[in-house]
Amino acid sequence: MATSLSDGRLSTNVGTVQVLRAGAGDPVVYLHSAMGEGAGTLFLEDLADEREVVAPVFPGFGESEGIESIDDMDDAVFHLLDVLDRLGLSSPAVVGLSLGGWMAAELAVRYPDRVSRLVLVNPVGLYLPGAEIKELFGRPLRELAQDMFADQSHPMAQMMSQLDTMAASEVDIPFEVLRPLLQSMAATAKLAWDPYLHDPKLAGRLHRVSSPALIVRGAQDTLVPRAHAEAYASGISRAALVEVEGAAHLLPLEKPAELVELVKAHLGA
Amino acid sequence: MRFFSFHLMPYPALPDDYDGPAWVTCPNSLFDPGVGSQIYNRYLDELILAEELGFDGVCVNEHHQNAYGLMPSPNLMASILARQTSRVRIAVVGNALPLYDPPTRVAEEFAMIDCISGGRLIAGMVVGGGPEYYSFSINPAHARERFQEAHDIIKRAWTEPGPFEFIGKHYKLRYVNSWPRPVQQPHPEIWIPGVGSLETIEFVARNRYAYMGIPYFHIDVFERMFKMMREACQRQGYEVDPLQLGWLVPIYVAETDAEARRQYEDHFWYFVRRLLPGINISPPGYTSIRSYENILKGAKTFALNLKTWDEVQAGEYAIVGSPETVTERLTENLRRLGPGNLLGLFQLGTLPADATRRSLELFGTEVMPKLRAAFPAGQPVLGAPAAVA
Repeated sequence: MATSLSDGRLSTNVGTVQVLRAGAGDPVVYLHSAMGEGAGTLFLEDLADEREVVAPVFPGFGESEGIESIDDMDDAVFHLLDVLDRLGLSSPAVVGLSLGGWMAAELAVRYPDRVSRLVLVNPVGLYLPGAEIKELFGRPLRELAQDMFADQSHPMAQMMSQLDTMAASEVDIPFEVLRPLLQSMAATAKLAWDPYLHDPKLAGRLHRVSSPALIVRGAQDTLVPRAHAEAYASGISRAALVEVEGAAHLLPLEKPAELVELVKAHLGA
Repeated sequence: MRFFSFHLMPYPALPDDYDGPAWVTCPNSLFDPGVGSQIYNRYLDELILAEELGFDGVCVNEHHQNAYGLMPSPNLMASILARQTSRVRIAVVGNALPLYDPPTRVAEEFAMIDCISGGRLIAGMVVGGGPEYYSFSINPAHARERFQEAHDIIKRAWTEPGPFEFIGKHYKLRYVNSWPRPVQQPHPEIWIPGVGSLETIEFVARNRYAYMGIPYFHIDVFERMFKMMREACQRQGYEVDPLQLGWLVPIYVAETDAEARRQYEDHFWYFVRRLLPGINISPPGYTSIRSYENILKGAKTFALNLKTWDEVQAGEYAIVGSPETVTERLTENLRRLGPGNLLGLFQLGTLPADATRRSLELFGTEVMPKLRAAFPAGQPVLGAPAAVA
């Protein structure tokens, strides 16, 4: 029994941002990845059967304004604090995927008392020599789809491959189809072009995280090497690492039911 | 009409079995310093020849970490040309401002070249190509802001007494005090190259600079870009001066049309299929979504998609033929586009030295005089009455 997300607006210092919400109960904040997934994500709808799910859309993604005022992860964390304050969320559980996982970790090291439980799914944010994160920007979508999905028959993987084929065969792609992807990547670049998808200081700050943390890794994730999940798990004092088979980088899209079970168990613990 | 000879200083010796991009990740083990030593000197000779042949100016430009253009510092080449020529304008098109930190270096080096050349510098300023944001790890989402700040610093360094302070978002300079200052007052002519980004065109029109249309697109794309520039100037309350527009196009002249094609076609394809791949990378955030939509309209006509020589000819991607044919094609297109600066690209990779030289000579002696007669200085170019034989 999935609950679909409602699409609301919130006024913040940087502009009006979009907030997707559903369900009731103890709040869980979901921070999306560079792909900007939100409404229609089964994982969130299933989770909303038991919890209040709050998924703020980051400036520059979807309908959210204000990316012009945000330059780096520092700005991103202050923006998140504003969003939590305005939503009246003093200490919610926070789940973040990839870029969103990095944001969640940055929030938790700086303001440990604002996060009651932490779930990082395939998080980026660290630099590990010899285990570099693969290129995200400017790669052919078909190639990227292989890092994102273990099963290439997933509808989103299919769509990415199809766009790639259309571009290669010079078919006109309606700009409205490209726009969300271009916007998401531009916003991600603003936060994470240089240094590439990481904060050199984050590893040395992970001991500041005080909430219990669960690191979830898609076993077939080829974008972010396993060493990153391990480094988060060993850097955070109360952390566990779980691997999910049959999922790559966009795990919440590929294995929603498995992730809901893991998150519920972690939040209930 | 002013005539410029534009040089990219391309690498002519990519091995046959290399089919990767010529940009960003093209392995530099493929660069043979022996070849480099020979071609840099040859390419400088080709630019110096342009002065002897009566061109109004020569153009150099800046690119990094690629085989397409081996000129990471056009200012080095421009300073050599400043000494080895005496009359031509030296257009650096341009320095990629966001890559300089601090950009006062551009103000200083340009002023040096202007001094050495006795006031012959044209100061080009460019945002930098998409690939350069990968090669320099500079955030493409900051490209426009950095360009704007760097431009402001350079222009103020030339026109305001120093020292002064500039505290921007990207550049924080306690003392801006450029020694030397340029000979040309209040500052050298400024050119900005572009591919149709609205932000760039509006910036150029607002400052009354000149806009250089970047090549390798169908002629229709240039027509649209120049129309946008005309309209942007009108919104600023004035009519564009033809000297505010420049058209960059590959040109090759030989004795007959058949000879020209026979001598040129393979070299054109080396350029398109070996040196262009990778140039069209557009990193996220590099242009606004609004501009991106506009640029995409022209993207499908980019030369990388060319398959046949007929398409090359039909879209005027390169003007190739006998002196009569080249004169006719250029006349027609100049009347259609209306620029006051014609920037000819006479060397594009593997074209041999003797063929390049012969083409330049034929252009200088057989084509340029007729075009000068057809497009007298100070008169409108767009739709000009064509009195060409």
